[in-house]
Amino acid sequence: MGRKPIQRGEQLVWLTGAALTVTLLATVTLIGVVMVNGLGYFWPSTLAVARLVDGGTAMGEITQRDYTDEGDLWRIQFKVGNRDLYGADFRWIDAAAIETLNYPEDAAALEREEYGNFYGFLERLDLATVQVDAGLPPWERLQAARDAVEERFEAIESLNESVSADSHEMERIRLAILELRYEGGAGAEDGIARLEEQLAPVRADFDARNAEAAARLAELRSNTATFADAAGRTKEMPILSLVRTYRPNAMSVPAKALFYLGKVWELLSANPRESNTEGGLFPAIFGTVMLVMLMSLFCIPLGVVAAVYLQEYAREGLLVRMVRIAVFNLAGVPSIVYGIFGLGFFVYGVGGTIDELFFPERLPNPTFGTGGILWASLTLALLTVPVVIVVTEEALAAIPGGIREASLSLGATRFQTLWRLLLPIAAPGIITGFVLSTARAAGEVAPLMITGVVKLAPALPLDGEFPFFHLDRKFMHLGFHIYDVGFQSPNVEAAKPMVFITTLLLLAIVIGLSIVAIVLRNSMQKRYAGKAF
Amino acid sequence: MNAPQIADPIFQIEGLSLFYGEAAALKEIGLHIPRRQVTAFIGPSGCGKSTLLRTLNRMNDLIDTVRIEGSIRMDGEEIYSPEVDAIELRRRVGMVFQAYNPFPKSIYENVVFGLRIAGVRNKSALDEAAERALTAAALWEEVKDRLRESALGLSGGQMQRLCIARAIAVNPEVILMDEPCSALDPTATARIEDLIFELKKDFTVIIVTHNLQQAARVADYTAFLYLGSLIEYDVTSIIFSRPREKRTEDYITGRFG
Amino acid sequence: MQARSATRAKRIDRIATWTITASGLVIVGSVVGILLLIVNVALPLLFPPDSVRVQRFSPAWLGDPGAVLAIGSDGYLETGYVLDTGGVFTFFDSRCGALLERVRLERPGVAGATVAGVEVSGRLDHSLRWSDGSLTVERVRFFPQFDPEGQRHIAHAVERLTVLPPAEGAVRGTARVTEAGGTAAVFLLPGNRLRVVQQIVEEDLFGELTRESASYEIEDELPGAAGPLLLDGSGRWLFAGTDAGYLLRWALTEEGPRLADRVRASHEGSAVTALAMLIGDGSVVVGLEDGSLSVWFPVPAEPGSFVRVLKSIHTLAPHPAAVRRIVASQADRILLTVGEEAELRMHYPTGERHLLTLSPEAPLLRAGLSLRANGVIGLDAEGRITVWAIDAPHPEFSWKAMFSRIWYEGFEQPGFVWQSSAATDDAEPKLSLIPLVFGTLKATFYALLFAAPVALFAAIYTSSLMDPRLRLIVKPTVEVMGAVPTVVIGFLAALWFAPLIEDKIIAIFLFLLLAPVVLIAFFVLWERVRGWPPLNRVKPGYEFLLVMPAVLLTVVLSVAIGGVLQDVIFGGDFRQWLFQSFGTQVDQRNSIVIAFALGFAVIPIIFTISEDALIRVPGHLRAASLALGATRWQTAWRVVLPSASPGVFAAVMIGFGRAVGETMIVLMATGNTPIIDGSIFNGMRTLSANIAVEIPEAPAGGTLFRVLFLTAVLLFSATFLVNTAAEVVRERMRKKFGRI
Repeated sequence: MGRKPIQRGEQLVWLTGAALTVTLLATVTLIGVVMVNGLGYFWPSTLAVARLVDGGTAMGEITQRDYTDEGDLWRIQFKVGNRDLYGADFRWIDAAAIETLNYPEDAAALEREEYGNFYGFLERLDLATVQVDAGLPPWERLQAARDAVEERFEAIESLNESVSADSHEMERIRLAILELRYEGGAGAEDGIARLEEQLAPVRADFDARNAEAAARLAELRSNTATFADAAGRTKEMPILSLVRTYRPNAMSVPAKALFYLGKVWELLSANPRESNTEGGLFPAIFGTVMLVMLMSLFCIPLGVVAAVYLQEYAREGLLVRMVRIAVFNLAGVPSIVYGIFGLGFFVYGVGGTIDELFFPERLPNPTFGTGGILWASLTLALLTVPVVIVVTEEALAAIPGGIREASLSLGATRFQTLWRLLLPIAAPGIITGFVLSTARAAGEVAPLMITGVVKLAPALPLDGEFPFFHLDRKFMHLGFHIYDVGFQSPNVEAAKPMVFITTLLLLAIVIGLSIVAIVLRNSMQKRYAGKAF
Repeated sequence: MNAPQIADPIFQIEGLSLFYGEAAALKEIGLHIPRRQVTAFIGPSGCGKSTLLRTLNRMNDLIDTVRIEGSIRMDGEEIYSPEVDAIELRRRVGMVFQAYNPFPKSIYENVVFGLRIAGVRNKSALDEAAERALTAAALWEEVKDRLRESALGLSGGQMQRLCIARAIAVNPEVILMDEPCSALDPTATARIEDLIFELKKDFTVIIVTHNLQQAARVADYTAFLYLGSLIEYDVTSIIFSRPREKRTEDYITGRFG
Repeated sequence: MQARSATRAKRIDRIATWTITASGLVIVGSVVGILLLIVNVALPLLFPPDSVRVQRFSPAWLGDPGAVLAIGSDGYLETGYVLDTGGVFTFFDSRCGALLERVRLERPGVAGATVAGVEVSGRLDHSLRWSDGSLTVERVRFFPQFDPEGQRHIAHAVERLTVLPPAEGAVRGTARVTEAGGTAAVFLLPGNRLRVVQQIVEEDLFGELTRESASYEIEDELPGAAGPLLLDGSGRWLFAGTDAGYLLRWALTEEGPRLADRVRASHEGSAVTALAMLIGDGSVVVGLEDGSLSVWFPVPAEPGSFVRVLKSIHTLAPHPAAVRRIVASQADRILLTVGEEAELRMHYPTGERHLLTLSPEAPLLRAGLSLRANGVIGLDAEGRITVWAIDAPHPEFSWKAMFSRIWYEGFEQPGFVWQSSAATDDAEPKLSLIPLVFGTLKATFYALLFAAPVALFAAIYTSSLMDPRLRLIVKPTVEVMGAVPTVVIGFLAALWFAPLIEDKIIAIFLFLLLAPVVLIAFFVLWERVRGWPPLNRVKPGYEFLLVMPAVLLTVVLSVAIGGVLQDVIFGGDFRQWLFQSFGTQVDQRNSIVIAFALGFAVIPIIFTISEDALIRVPGHLRAASLALGATRWQTAWRVVLPSASPGVFAAVMIGFGRAVGETMIVLMATGNTPIIDGSIFNGMRTLSANIAVEIPEAPAGGTLFRVLFLTAVLLFSATFLVNTAAEVVRERMRKKFGRI
């Protein structure tokens, strides 16, 4: 005990401790960065108007402040928006160039369908077809006008629905014609003629409604609001194109909180806008969830059956040991390899064959012979099946042999033993495997990129159109959304907040699932710990 | 070897040999086991007594490499003939294991498990059987108020009695006990031994034990096995007082084993 | 009732056993069969090209076979043609031999002139030398047409592109119409002299076309009698071979001809017997009297020089006898060579691959390659026309092309290059896997350099030195770290971390230096103050909580000192300094970023597996060591770690496997440039990212598609082998300690 700490190797203990610290810090940093960047974005930030020394102006959200090495304010980054007027969203201004900086109450921020945000002041309203109370102050009049426009727009939307019903009907008839033409034979000509007769009124209806919808929309778009930027440049915009209008400098904290919740709701429920850099994530969330659910549908039964076979039915021997190691190792095979397998086997192999057998009339346009949610989920199922097998096997192996013997000695068949005893006992393990595999599947992107994920899917894989599940459709996915918006988008800087929010959402889903799996597993370990059988 | 004359034996074992792969674990064993009596198999570790016990309800079938020669008849019927179903046989020949192995279910579900898998769905029949089995296993009074609780909460001795109750709930003819008390303390052991004494009124009990006093206390007949061979088989009192074989005497007097 | 339910139970059991066994085997088999299926897609790369004789007919319309000068076919092997000395193109259905049409060419000069010789260049441009010495260029065109039923048939046409009057006394000559619409012709005059006639068409800035004519004689003395003459598609380069085995090249400039090269194509002095240009006019193929074949293109005379000289780059499988003709495909880089011995061979020059040999029963008088190089058509002395279909879907594949240095057209030196597609069709695909394998190993190396020590030390600390109660928090935290989707890590690495450290590279190196110093300082400080209340209540096993501020302090110090250093030593910009001093370019997405990002992804794996192995070491070993007076560090380092070393090794192997196959992180954070450069300041492209980048562009069934599958096989096998080795080691370890 007389030895010095250095001789005892305590400093090396510290070194190993530092390694652990680095590991934990890295994790905390990653989650922290995502949360800081993701959570804050929806909070309405105040709008600053800067008068510059050279007489110019700048208006927008202050996004960053750079300091010199001496700690003085060096320059400020403004998100100036108004992409249609200025071209760029962001602007750096030297602190020295700023004469005054103030935060006017009536500074308005507009979220728009196109060109990103607009920052400016309400100038005037030109209401052509909607009426609002002229006695209101201008800002309230704008809100009332927006409500009125929204109401009319919903009517047009319902018109659009019947247009899309017509369009589906036309597509159905067109495919039927193609099929008849492909099959040929007696009566095909008559059939085609009959179908074309059917097609004519639908097409007429489609054209008429379409034209009406377009006309009413154009009419509605003639209701405009004119805003001026800080320098006085005006921009006239259809009220319809304004998604959100707010005056952050005049908002109280509860109002901001409400605004925040509204944005979160939009995120979860709305479609994306502006090539995915704004708006909601609903299709991506839906695609991710449906993908994972479809995947579980394939991988859980397959994995459990394989594990039961290996653990309970197969004769233990060299072969089974080799198979077990092989299966275990498949969990370590790169996911891109699964992806390429999915492409080669499912998409081109199985999908191509299905097209030749069942949809020959649509060729060369592929139906199943191209990436789609079915193939992506099957590929993911293959990727996660080893996880389920390994975990289920472990759970079954952890059941003491005495349980099986006792059951058999009571006259139970092997299947009864399995069904009534082993599977219920192993259930937490199986569920852990299930949760782990869903966590892995939800976060996996590489194999999806080549088996059917797209940046913008025209329709969800599940809708009201017969047969409701459209397993051949392409889909959107949160993980791919991150990659696509963060790396393929034309304006990466402006898209960053959206990517952080998507990341936050994906991280929350995956880590949430993992924590569930960890908790389940720990509770299972406790159950057998210290029990002598 | 002089075997005792047993009228109406339940098992007739003739020339039984058992091999694990190439190695013989039992060699040319022949003995008759009396009905509604307690028979004990004794012998040093690895002598084959547990293996012999497990041949009686074909639990050895579960091991792939086992091969059996000779014949075992139960009530005159060859149990290894292809027509006999092992599952059917196990319903008639129950078993209690060395390590108590209740299922991770409630006490009640443990007891009625055998009946449930046999297809009994009638609630009152199950209740009745559970009470009968637990009473027979001398456990009813201790657990009747917590039948729905997990069996894993019982003490070791209770768990083993629960396993006995589970075995007798299906109403077998024979109960095989493979060192049932080896994991228990002396008090619990005594209770099990009392129970065995009670059980032989209704069941044939065959017990494997390495505890010679236990065999002397509970068994009517005792068979001594050594290195896979049956050395001596007789009424317990004879085995323990005047064994015919030198090896039996050496074992009983503790010179080896 | 019981008996019935028992039979039912037994029946269910039998069915279940059967079903579970069957489906278990099927699932296990199919999961294991993945490799086989991927291999199956990659396998056609290895199949040797195949030729099938599809047609043979002796058409009645064919007169004297000896009069036929050229034969050819369209790209669908449906329409063929022959050109005879009478100046007649005869088109026929090459599926049955039926005559389709005869096109009689207009005589350019004297009536009754016959065709004396033909040379084919480009896409079926026929340079005809008439008996009166005049030259014409006739273009045969095939174009698919669709009739109202949607049936395809191949239409054909012959178009005269140019007519050149005879040069006085010319013995031979060949002409070519250039891409710009001009013409170039070369005549061989008596006395081994060459005369060039040019019409140069140029487009000026305003789109006006100017035509200039020039005619001159080449003054340079030829080394040996002139053999084959060849003009390139631009009309600016003239090649000639001589019977002394020389290859000459002239630049036909506005100032007149300039001899650019005069090289020996044959060291034995064997005569040059055939010349042809590969598609794209970048390389010239030379065939010799002794049967040897080589491909030449201009390369820098010496490294860095702007002077280009012809050099023999590829040597192809030689013919046993003289090479008579070389036909270059105009669809890809396939070559058809005709030897004196009547054999036909197909080659792919880039990989020096001999694709196949055709041995006709009777020697062919004439042979031609179909437009898409998917067939060969030939005419023998008995007047029979034979059509072979060639199945060579992956000519550009060869092991040589994938794994050894190749000198590609237009490159300054041979190298390993991955460049799967290019802007033009005539570029050769460059499919060397070496840069990708290198990139993969580089990324893995740097990632493990960071991750392995960190993860192992953390595992040692967690398993052996830390308070076991804390372990219950640390383990799940690291597992959560392992659950972070790689797309998230990649995104943060590329768009947050890379820009963050871009100008703080020095700080990172400083951190590595400072960390031990600060740690020791903290440690010494701690040893002084640990006795004082309330600090004496901190127990061993909680050190890492004290380490945390030390690590944070190191980060702050590194950034601060790094900034100062940058200003003082490196003139304000380390990257600039590095570039100026060493010529090393610093990419934003470099190996440092990869080391951290990929390291982040593999740390949890290495940590979890090695921690499992360490914790599995039986407690009595620790107890024995401690009882002998060993310190807890000595116990951990000398007793626990060696006992668990197989498991720790396995952990690193599995981490390696994961790093090798990781896709999203490297796809997003490496820049994906397939270069071979070990520098830590630039990026790389890995096998896995390469698949993700290229597969959307690769047509199914094509060479690139299959090569990508081959790389997938490579990845699969590498990770599978590494994982299996690791798993076997772990299995052993589990047996050793599992039941103690």
